[in-house]
Amino acid sequence: MPTMIFWIAIAALTAAAALSVLVPLTRTRSRPESVPENASVGIAAPDLDQDAEVYRAQLEELQRDRVRGLIDDQAFDAARTEIARRLLAAEDARTRREASAPASSRVLRRAAVLAALVFLPAVTLGMYLMLGSPDQPDSPLIARLQAPVEGQSVGELVARVERHLAQNPQDGKGWEVIAPVYMRLNRPEEAARAYDNVIRLLGSSATRQTDMGEALAAANNGIVSAAAQAAFEAAVELDADAVKPRFFLAIALAQDGNREAAVAAWRKLLDGADETESWVPVARAELAKLTGATAALAQPAAPGQPGPDAAAVAEAAQMSDADRSAMIEGMVSGLKDRLRGAGGSLQDWQRLLRAQMVLGREAEARDALLLAREDLAEDEAALAQINALATSLGL
Amino acid sequence: MIVELGHYALVLAFALALVQCVLPLVGALREDRALMAIAPPVSISLFLLVSLSFVSLTIAYLTSDFSVLNVYANSYSAKPLIYKISGVWGNHEGSVLLWILILVFFGALVGYFGRNIPAPLRAATLSVQAWVTTGFLAFLLITSNPFERIATPPMEGQGLNPILQDIGLAIHPPLLYIGYVGFSITFSFAVAALILGRIDAAWARWVRPWTLLAWVFLTLGIAMGSYWAYYELGWGGWWFWDPVENASLMPWLVGTAMLHSAIVMEKREGLKVWTVLLAIFAFSLSLLGTFLVRSGVLTSVHAFATDPERGVFILGLLTFFIGGSLSLFAWRAPMLKQGGLFAPISREGALVLNNLFLSAAASAVLIGTLYPLVLDVVTGEKISVGAPFFNLTFGPLMIPLLMAVPFGPVLAWKRGDLLAACQRLYAAFGLAFLAVLFTYWLWGGASALAPLGVGLAVWLMLGSIVELLGRVKLFDIGPRRALSRLIGLPGSAWGTSIAHFGVGVAVLGIVTASAFQEEHILTMKPGSSVELAGYEVTFDGLIPRQGPNYQEDVGLFSLRRGGVEVAQLEPAKRVYQASRMPTSEAGILTSWFSQIYLSLGEAREDGGVDVRIYHKPLITLIWIGCVIMAFGGVVSIGDRRLRVGAPTPARKKTRAKSAAVAAE
Repeated sequence: MPTMIFWIAIAALTAAAALSVLVPLTRTRSRPESVPENASVGIAAPDLDQDAEVYRAQLEELQRDRVRGLIDDQAFDAARTEIARRLLAAEDARTRREASAPASSRVLRRAAVLAALVFLPAVTLGMYLMLGSPDQPDSPLIARLQAPVEGQSVGELVARVERHLAQNPQDGKGWEVIAPVYMRLNRPEEAARAYDNVIRLLGSSATRQTDMGEALAAANNGIVSAAAQAAFEAAVELDADAVKPRFFLAIALAQDGNREAAVAAWRKLLDGADETESWVPVARAELAKLTGATAALAQPAAPGQPGPDAAAVAEAAQMSDADRSAMIEGMVSGLKDRLRGAGGSLQDWQRLLRAQMVLGREAEARDALLLAREDLAEDEAALAQINALATSLGL
Repeated sequence: MIVELGHYALVLAFALALVQCVLPLVGALREDRALMAIAPPVSISLFLLVSLSFVSLTIAYLTSDFSVLNVYANSYSAKPLIYKISGVWGNHEGSVLLWILILVFFGALVGYFGRNIPAPLRAATLSVQAWVTTGFLAFLLITSNPFERIATPPMEGQGLNPILQDIGLAIHPPLLYIGYVGFSITFSFAVAALILGRIDAAWARWVRPWTLLAWVFLTLGIAMGSYWAYYELGWGGWWFWDPVENASLMPWLVGTAMLHSAIVMEKREGLKVWTVLLAIFAFSLSLLGTFLVRSGVLTSVHAFATDPERGVFILGLLTFFIGGSLSLFAWRAPMLKQGGLFAPISREGALVLNNLFLSAAASAVLIGTLYPLVLDVVTGEKISVGAPFFNLTFGPLMIPLLMAVPFGPVLAWKRGDLLAACQRLYAAFGLAFLAVLFTYWLWGGASALAPLGVGLAVWLMLGSIVELLGRVKLFDIGPRRALSRLIGLPGSAWGTSIAHFGVGVAVLGIVTASAFQEEHILTMKPGSSVELAGYEVTFDGLIPRQGPNYQEDVGLFSLRRGGVEVAQLEPAKRVYQASRMPTSEAGILTSWFSQIYLSLGEAREDGGVDVRIYHKPLITLIWIGCVIMAFGGVVSIGDRRLRVGAPTPARKKTRAKSAAVAAE
């Protein structure tokens, strides 16, 4: 229906524009063409009269000035002579021109009618359909915010709540509704601000503090900042058993480079944890990252077998992170090349798989698993053990 | 629907303007009354269509309709109402739309009020105006369409450039544009006259009020821009010879010249061809200004080269209109009937002198503005042409011109008598001389030129008063009759005197504010004071403050005079949240016509802050003078009479001759 009104409106506009061309044309035609027209019918008198008219008006003006005493007789005479001279020249030109007085041409008028009725609508419509979006309705902000909730996009709904909160900033419930939405929309700064408001208005709780801390950490590219840490600590204070804040605090310790404390925190968290919880593998991986990479390789190689000896492992513990991971990488790729080329024992293959998983190289680990199965195909027991390890590593 | 209706109206205006380009022009050339009669109603239709378009864009801004790309990119739902409206022209697309709106508005004025303009001239003028309109509508629709839509509208806009969030900048562009675009109508008149091959009395009669109208708005627009730069940019300067400022000054200078040559044309039927040329130049310089500002060529010649669509389009329009009109001029001008020659010592002679100086000054500004750009393009070398260049070129051209101003109006038409003119002005000259001595005594010999500058200003102001008194023959007929004559004086005479007086006022402001300015640039700690021009300025501390969409550091200063506190000033440095863009707000105390100007610099770690404090004596006279000039223009437009200038037969012919010889 609005589209219908739109097309009617543009048709009316076009018609009005065309009329402003057509009306003057028809008006002119309705007069006999030989009779000179005057200004009262909306068409200016020919310019030939006009010059003379200007001069006549000047003369009158001059007369008035003299009556008012603005100019003396001498100036009046001089000016009148001047005007009279120009007036005569204009009259001359007029008589000369009138000899070749023009007529209105029928061809030209027909061309003008065509321009108004064909050219104008065709060009306009063609261009508009190219440039415009006739089907797109207006979307003023207020109307969008007041439209029924059904069928609105998340963005629109969020804006709606935001507007409501801008007007009622004390509405804690509102902040609590929008905070997790912000998180999901990947707008963690706003989520953190919203949780801050929730805590201010509705009071603190372990969950709220944890959520705020999580938002702050997300806003900071996963780094647990001092503010986030404070939030997690507040949560632990309210609920000493809560897993999530302790989880993040352990991450914070690792990020601070406090390795021992982090390992301890992870161990404590995993101690007695229900293995089915979703966070447990992550925690294990984190723990493994701190201890595991070296631990996986830390079983000293049996004498005579190539591999890092105890001294090398001890040395690795002293190294900087970068150096250590370079060393581990070097060892892992060395191990891999050796096993690929000549095969190896069950323990060798197990070490390689664990190390690759710790380094996050799942694809390589899968390759290695296939090779291991091939290599150990004759040893049923070893094959079973390799498969068990693969399952536990999630391969 | 409103948005799309606005879009459609704009496209329809384009098609209608195409019709207007051809039919009335053919009508005017073939003297076909029917086709000529089309022009006025179509000019009004064009105005209504573009208005509809402008209104619908404004509605989109008011309702924060972010489905319009232009609104999304330049508005913000929480913005104050006034800046939602000014946001319409605070961006490229909207400002071009405003430009076109003013263009068709002037066309409609001619269509509606121009009943006594000869039909062929009116038809051809409106046709030429439609050419300009078509060019700019094509530019708007093809390269910078303000009605482009977004299929999935975002919920919030990107805000307005914070520097534009200022009341001064909200009204500055419309004033300036009315001035710029106002010259389009004199341009159209001139090109129409060239096409028709004759400049008749009506042409001369009609050009002057249109020039005046454009000139008044341009004067106000430039003054407004200058005052804005003064209080917002924080340097205490009121004119920077910046290319954007020069872009508005050039059409003003040529427009001022045209204003004066139009008087000669109207009264003496002389200088016709010259006036036509000036009309072409005035609008060409307006177009050039638009090109400089709108193409982005100023920010960086190279940025322009990488995204050249808009710039090249405007450059094309520029080439077409300037090149086309000048070629037409070269072809047709020799066929036009020249006015008579006249003696150098006469009102006409004085006006020619005015024109020569103003055109030379405009050329100097043009060279100073374009040379760095050309050099950058050709050699890649970056230079900036600043105040020293303009002081050496523009200044020396202005001084003799200003000295000659009072002579013009007291000289008679056709045959002037320089000696008699001097006699009428001797009182003004004597008083100006006294003003020089007085200034010298008051301020001492700090600058030898400054007292002379003050003398020049006084000479201009008194000269314009003397001219009025001379006209009413105060000393011949006694005060009572003189008063009645004074009231009966034509508007144009009043306008001349008022405008020339305004020039004097502005010159006085410029001279005193630059020669006798006192300034301190220092670091102040809280509690410390500094003495300036009789004021004791104390820094009380720096406090942070939160605005609606910015944060600012406000410096608190108290001003005491003789131990009594007279004012608190709070200059500030703002940072707008949306763009993190810093701006500065000066603290200004106006006392009579002088100002104390405080501007904050960087804050130091020890609690101190860099401060610039100026005392600028009589500085407001610069802008007051401009307003007086514009008022003079308005008074002069109000004079609807048809005028003729004729000489009084010379009684003392021999004496006049000897004076003329002496002057040569």
